[in-house]
Amino acid sequence: MNIEAALEEIGKAPTLESLQALKVQYLGKNGLVTQEMKTLGRLSPEERREKGRVLNEWKAALEKALEAREAQLREEALQARLLQESIDVSLPGYAFPSGGLHITSRIMQELVGIFRKQGFSVVEGPEVESEFFNFDAINMPDWHPARDMQDTFWVEFKNQPGFTIQGPFGEDVTGRGGAVLRTHTSGMQIRYMIQHTPPFRIVVPGRVFRYEQTDASHEAMFHQLEGLVVGPNITMADLKGAISELARGLFGEEGKARFQPTYFPFVEPGVQFAMWWPERQKWLELGGAGMVHPYLFKAVDDYRERQGLPRAYEGMTGWAFGMGVERLALLRYGIPDIRYFYQNRLSFLRQFRG
Amino acid sequence: MKIVHSWLKEFLPEAPGSERLEELLAGLGLETESIHKLTAPHRQIVFARVLAAENLEGKEVRRLVLDIGQEVQVVSGAPNAKAGMGVALALPGALLPDGTELGVRKIAGLESYGMALSARELGVGEYAGGLLELPADALPPGTPLAEVWGPDEVIEIEITPNRPDWLSVYGVARDLAALGLSLVRPQPKPRTTPLALPFGVWIEDPEGCDRFTLSYARGVKVAPSPLLVQRRLYAAGMRPISNVVDATNYAMLELGNPMHAYDAAFIREGLVVRRARPGEKLVTLDGVERTLDERDLLITVKEGHQTRPAGLAGVMGGAEDEIRDTTTEVALEVAHFDPVRVRRTAKRQGLKTEASYRFERGVDPDGPILAAERFMELLQAWGGEEVEVAQERLDLNHTRPRPPISFRPGYTSRLVGMDYPAATQAEVLQRLGCTVQPTAEAGVWAVTPPSHRVDLAIEEDLVEEVARIVGYDQIPTTLPSFFPHPDNLGVDAPYEATERLKQVMAGLGFQEVLNYAWSSPEECELMRAPAPTVFMQNPQTADRTALRTALYPGLLKNLQTALAQGEDGPFLLFEVGNVFNQNETPRLAALLCGDPVPGLWQKGLGEGFFALKGFLETAARNLGSQVRVEQEAAPYLHPGISGAVYWNRQKVGQIGALHPAIAAALELPQVFLLELSLPLSKGPGTFTDIARYPASMRDLAVVVPESTPYAEIERVIRAHAGERLEKLEIFDVYRGKPLRDGEKSLAFHLTFRHEGRTLTDLETDGFMQNIITALENSGYAIRK
Repeated sequence: MNIEAALEEIGKAPTLESLQALKVQYLGKNGLVTQEMKTLGRLSPEERREKGRVLNEWKAALEKALEAREAQLREEALQARLLQESIDVSLPGYAFPSGGLHITSRIMQELVGIFRKQGFSVVEGPEVESEFFNFDAINMPDWHPARDMQDTFWVEFKNQPGFTIQGPFGEDVTGRGGAVLRTHTSGMQIRYMIQHTPPFRIVVPGRVFRYEQTDASHEAMFHQLEGLVVGPNITMADLKGAISELARGLFGEEGKARFQPTYFPFVEPGVQFAMWWPERQKWLELGGAGMVHPYLFKAVDDYRERQGLPRAYEGMTGWAFGMGVERLALLRYGIPDIRYFYQNRLSFLRQFRG
Repeated sequence: MKIVHSWLKEFLPEAPGSERLEELLAGLGLETESIHKLTAPHRQIVFARVLAAENLEGKEVRRLVLDIGQEVQVVSGAPNAKAGMGVALALPGALLPDGTELGVRKIAGLESYGMALSARELGVGEYAGGLLELPADALPPGTPLAEVWGPDEVIEIEITPNRPDWLSVYGVARDLAALGLSLVRPQPKPRTTPLALPFGVWIEDPEGCDRFTLSYARGVKVAPSPLLVQRRLYAAGMRPISNVVDATNYAMLELGNPMHAYDAAFIREGLVVRRARPGEKLVTLDGVERTLDERDLLITVKEGHQTRPAGLAGVMGGAEDEIRDTTTEVALEVAHFDPVRVRRTAKRQGLKTEASYRFERGVDPDGPILAAERFMELLQAWGGEEVEVAQERLDLNHTRPRPPISFRPGYTSRLVGMDYPAATQAEVLQRLGCTVQPTAEAGVWAVTPPSHRVDLAIEEDLVEEVARIVGYDQIPTTLPSFFPHPDNLGVDAPYEATERLKQVMAGLGFQEVLNYAWSSPEECELMRAPAPTVFMQNPQTADRTALRTALYPGLLKNLQTALAQGEDGPFLLFEVGNVFNQNETPRLAALLCGDPVPGLWQKGLGEGFFALKGFLETAARNLGSQVRVEQEAAPYLHPGISGAVYWNRQKVGQIGALHPAIAAALELPQVFLLELSLPLSKGPGTFTDIARYPASMRDLAVVVPESTPYAEIERVIRAHAGERLEKLEIFDVYRGKPLRDGEKSLAFHLTFRHEGRTLTDLETDGFMQNIITALENSGYAIRK
């Protein structure tokens, strides 16, 4: 056999199959090299040694060539497959749905998160509220001029089996004065205090309603965050500390709070607070606050007593605040119209992600 | 409340400019709403006296001959021009506040030398119904008005309802003075004459009226008020009427006590303050006839044994006894009424006046005398030399002295959280007009507030006064540290569960929306939602008459909007909110419209009911819970594509396709909805050790009638598989050959596992045989 021709043949084998055939042809049981090996026995020792050496060299050369060609063919096949499998990765992928929270929920979460870090719990209250919790118990009896500050949606109940407003213990409080869409979250101060013993810290997020003509800056439905801390020695300085922490949480280390006197029937002293917005270098009036009016503690203890609970608020002090949530969002994002919030246009809502 | 800066300066000579003033006011609790600059009128606007006013034949305008140091002719359409009155005349070349430049014009064929001005044209007030009427001798004719009307500022401040003492120029000055500015106290000194009072006063209801003063003046000549007064009244938001009426308003704006002037000729015998009789009628100054009842308090005129209503106490006077052009005798009422009664009457009558606004908040009960003297002083200044003011006046005083407030200066420091020296506190309170007396008890003072501070009633009110005058900016910042009482633990749980649910829904690809709480019976009917139970007494619009009874109508409306506005689908929306049926309860609703993964250059993924159900199942898995749906109809859902949702075995709501009839009415494509009551129960949250032994799998196909739900077969398999069944998965639903029509084959993967050892084939075959037997006993065939 011609080793040169054989090696050339192997080097040109077009496929793995033909390569395998060549392997059998030369190195198989009945291959040419194998048959030559079998003839060695008939040779003289010198010839045998010499031919044996040559045959072994041939065998090694053939094996090497076969391996090399196989590797080459496999590589070519791989390359061909890769080429064939390649796709245009710049085409868009499947458009899996991407969801998100409403902008109000997002801002509320951010605010609530800042208070949670300070150890506050979060609770919620009803939107249809009795006149007692919304007004009377927080020192706004029906003759009080402060009621003029809040235009109210009064509601009535029709159609059997009717509607029940539940009190802090699930009791029916529907008959406690008229019924309203709550004008603020402050009624929850009373509900929570009736149910719980101080000291505590809570925030109350929730939607509230005012009988207002809607325009770019007024909505009949909006959201508030209420805060309440009660304990044996809670001070106005603590209130300022909490609001300052809110400012820092919202606006970073330059954020700070400003207090000015004002009036709400349910606090005394009363505070109007603003926060410094470093980015725009201005004060944002964001809400009202103050030290819980003793009238509220008394109203709570009276209610507790009627429910068979011990009076728990004598000698306590506390602070409360309330702030509008949409207003903060409007300012922060530069949204021109508050009505965008509850028109729920997707091209508006889908922008608030991340 | 609008404060004219020059007026404030009369009481507070050191008052700073408006910018600094705004800061000081804010520190006191008075928020500035706006600062309006008053500019002096253009130099070509002069005082003129009307010499003659002639009607022109067949014309609506009149020819006026005016004296401006020389005679000029002006044509005017104003109805009130008459000979002898003073007017403001814009000469040719004058520039009006609205930008108009005047020249000599021809009107009705006559040359008009400029234009006589209304208050609005002049820029001092809103009134445009006639010429601004000035006293005939206000200025030498031809003098520019700018000589008297210099530049000024009007600061509009928001008055909180607790501080009626701020509802006057002097009241604001007085509070500013507590910051250390010097105050000029009003000391009116009318020239009085000993005159017999021609009337008496009787109070029949001293609860409703605890103070009533009636003063008397005669020789009054009713005329327009001086220039400066008119400008200030306009600037304060009132319209000048005549010197007498203006003096009542001016004195009220200055000192805070509302007052009412009667033509004394009409109240000869005197006044009786009494409750109205049911059905009694009174025509008030605004010309409206009002029907009253016994809750209303009346000022009546005594006529023999009868009394005739002359005014609604503290709200508005009657039309009959008002000041007229011919009035020469004036009786002035300055009184004090029960704030609550005034508020209720004003509310019932829908009548809010400058007087009722002040009385219902609380007027200084000790203020009437000072206010009456100020009125008389003004009357003499504006009403001419002949005005005689009676030395005597009637003063029926049933007011009671206010009890002092027990005040612990130590409490201020405790409540505010900063140290206020006792001496500082005493000084602040005294500067505010309080009397501070020590008591027998150490550290407790008896503080009596001044009569004008009707808001100061409890210790905390005084704490605020100290903190306010020292400055809220001085208060330090601290953070309290305490362990909450144990009954507060865990109160977060419902809120946290809702937040988690919202995050899961958003994570699955749903966009949260927040809809209004309102609906209407019509909408509920259209959407086949329960009829409302909560209705607005004062609905804003016809589509907001009630509260919503379900969430899905809101989502459907959101979808309508999105489609109308060409928003990109698919639409995956959700809302968490309260609904109002027999109670107020929270819910979750979700809407799916379109393939969740839309086909673009490749094929879309997910479709129809099972896409929404799949999202629900994934949400449940994310929340560690199990969910199951059983065929059940709901009024708003397609009767064949609807089911009840069971969350951890508890029925919580519905899922299905929107009823095609509703979809057609709303012009919507196919929509899938789910609505669940919250809170959803939590999953078990337990741990089972990771499996150590291999599972054993089997497949099973069951042939059942088309009407048999999957859930039924699942139930049978689970009931008979034994406790080693770990997982049951349906992998095929087949219809067609070799099955008969009306049959389908359900194919399952079953996974069995023992936690303590490897199951043998024999054991698993046994479990399978139990299942097969049970299915066959139930009438189903096993597909071999």
